Amino acid sequence: MNRKDTAAKVIIPVLSILIAFIIGGIIIAGLGKNPFTAYGYLFSGAFGSSQKFAQTLTIACPLIFTALAAAFAYKCGVFNLGGEGQFIIGAVTSIFVCQTTGVTGFPGILLSLALGTVMGGVWGAIPGILKIARGLNEMIVSIMLNYVATLFMGYVYTSLLREGSTPQTAAIADSLQLSRISDSFHVHWGFIAAVVLAFVLGYVIFNTSFGFKIRAVGMNPMAAMFNGFPVKKLILSSFIISGAVAGLGGSIELHGKQFRLMSGFGQGFGFDGVAIALIAQLNPVGAALVAFFFAVLRKGSSTLQTGMKIPSSVVDIIQALVIIFAVGGTVLIKRPSVQKMLNRSRKQDSDKEGAKA
Amino acid sequence: MDAVWNISFLQELLLSTIRMATPILLVAIAELYSERAGMVNIGLDGLMAIGALVGFLVGYNTMNPFLGLLAGAAAGVAINMIFAFFTVSLCAEQIVYGMATNILAPALASFIYRLSFSDTSVLIKGVAQDAAAIPGLSQIPFFGKLLFNHPPLVYFAYILVILTGIFFSRTRPGLNFKAVGEFPRAAETMGIRVINVKYIACIICGALAGLGGAYLTICYTNTYSEGIVAGRGFIALSAVIFGRWVSGGVMMACLLFGFCDALQIRLQLIFPNTPYQLLQMIPYVCTLLALIFFGIRKNGPKANGQPYFREER
Repeated sequence: MNRKDTAAKVIIPVLSILIAFIIGGIIIAGLGKNPFTAYGYLFSGAFGSSQKFAQTLTIACPLIFTALAAAFAYKCGVFNLGGEGQFIIGAVTSIFVCQTTGVTGFPGILLSLALGTVMGGVWGAIPGILKIARGLNEMIVSIMLNYVATLFMGYVYTSLLREGSTPQTAAIADSLQLSRISDSFHVHWGFIAAVVLAFVLGYVIFNTSFGFKIRAVGMNPMAAMFNGFPVKKLILSSFIISGAVAGLGGSIELHGKQFRLMSGFGQGFGFDGVAIALIAQLNPVGAALVAFFFAVLRKGSSTLQTGMKIPSSVVDIIQALVIIFAVGGTVLIKRPSVQKMLNRSRKQDSDKEGAKA
Repeated sequence: MDAVWNISFLQELLLSTIRMATPILLVAIAELYSERAGMVNIGLDGLMAIGALVGFLVGYNTMNPFLGLLAGAAAGVAINMIFAFFTVSLCAEQIVYGMATNILAPALASFIYRLSFSDTSVLIKGVAQDAAAIPGLSQIPFFGKLLFNHPPLVYFAYILVILTGIFFSRTRPGLNFKAVGEFPRAAETMGIRVINVKYIACIICGALAGLGGAYLTICYTNTYSEGIVAGRGFIALSAVIFGRWVSGGVMMACLLFGFCDALQIRLQLIFPNTPYQLLQMIPYVCTLLALIFFGIRKNGPKANGQPYFREER
């Protein structure tokens, strides 16, 4: 069982990415442009210099957070499509802390991140509470809350905390900005926090009894209930943790990269996070890797558009194709007919090994 | 202020309710067919986006609104076949492929739009379907203008509600359809071809959702812009739950959401000093409240969202 399944977990996403790139290449060729030059632009845009690479890592940071949020909830069998809303609420909370409380320096950052995390958790708790109390579909509730959060953020940057004639808030004070890892490599510490969080959540999910319970509910809530697990409580806590992770991501994005709220903040991060989590098969560390891959695509797509006049949305198409193939691949190898074939080849392998011995 | 709350205001408000409700209604009926066959398709937003774009493009190039609508429906079917293949034939998770549709289809739409019109700063006007007043009936005071002076697609949507109601409660194919959503294994032993029914459901769903999208660019406005769908697919999804999986109920739910949307726009005009974002929240908040108070998940098809493994015994 084991070795081949682990191999499949790596091979399928890699193969899916490859196929998606080939299809993307065909589309580009269909436009009468050379796909190899196009992909050259894409990767040079993301890796071309240490500065560009640093930007790519900075783009990956929020994606890691929303992907971890999506993965954690889905491990418990619930779909949190509200990552974007929770992300935005985290950032909105932080801007309030920064602009109104007057705290500065490191304590200010800590307070702001902490409150952003808490409010993200609160926003994430709403679909959880409605699910366990009223049996409502958590996907619809969390999507509706995304719209509410986005509109509320719009209210904040166009009226409440608006500064000047353009609809945006003032930037947060210099002392509240996250510092860079080094002067030559402009990646803020939030990226390191994201990677650490990925490992922590991976440990929690796979090595603690709490994580085991979460996974048990995700696999079979009925069986978990008969085993005496507090299913409702676990579902709610997975929502809260998921929302908190996304909220922290929003706070860090504000403190590390954007420094202010404006139109488009956080847009699309929620759905991208879900996509990343699915491709990574809900493994937190895998999610960090896939998020990095998505960041490469996002960063490179702008070079692609300016350099070759190819609409950057070709990259979104590639991303969607990766999900379609990656998830399709995992389902395919679970099909009885395919399993039978795999078992046969496995048996031949062991026969051969036996013959050698 | 008083002048605003008169009869013509009411008429305009209700008229705009019907206009706003129609796309949601078409898409909600699409989802109703899908869910009755046990397929939860959350990719409605994506299907609408591609329907909106293809409808717009074909309408723009042929100057024929009917062709545009038809093309929008066809595009919806084409994209939904990806969902159908992976979820019905490979038994993959429906939610995941709905998500994939929501990422793929809008990206495809924006890609095609940017290729077709290299300058995206100019708003390009496509073709619009004119209102077809029904002779006689449209002359009735107040109600005539309200109910019988719309683009043909609006009449189609409401006729569809009636036909769908009859289909699911009075006809054999309709009952077969429901059996697939309730208990596919039993349906199969009764000689119903479960896989075929599910595919047919996906075709109907794609066509109607694409049509709902095309409504936005042909009947509602005659322009295309990114994000034109604005979560209407998800509102339709909640309308199905709120309407308890019956076409009449779904229609009432859609009219309620349409009313919230229409009201919101008018309130923006009446209260220009209120931040418009707070008013724009109304339809979403109403959806949530409606679900909280009336959206108990009991009447849904029993095998909704579950993959059907034919080989499994």
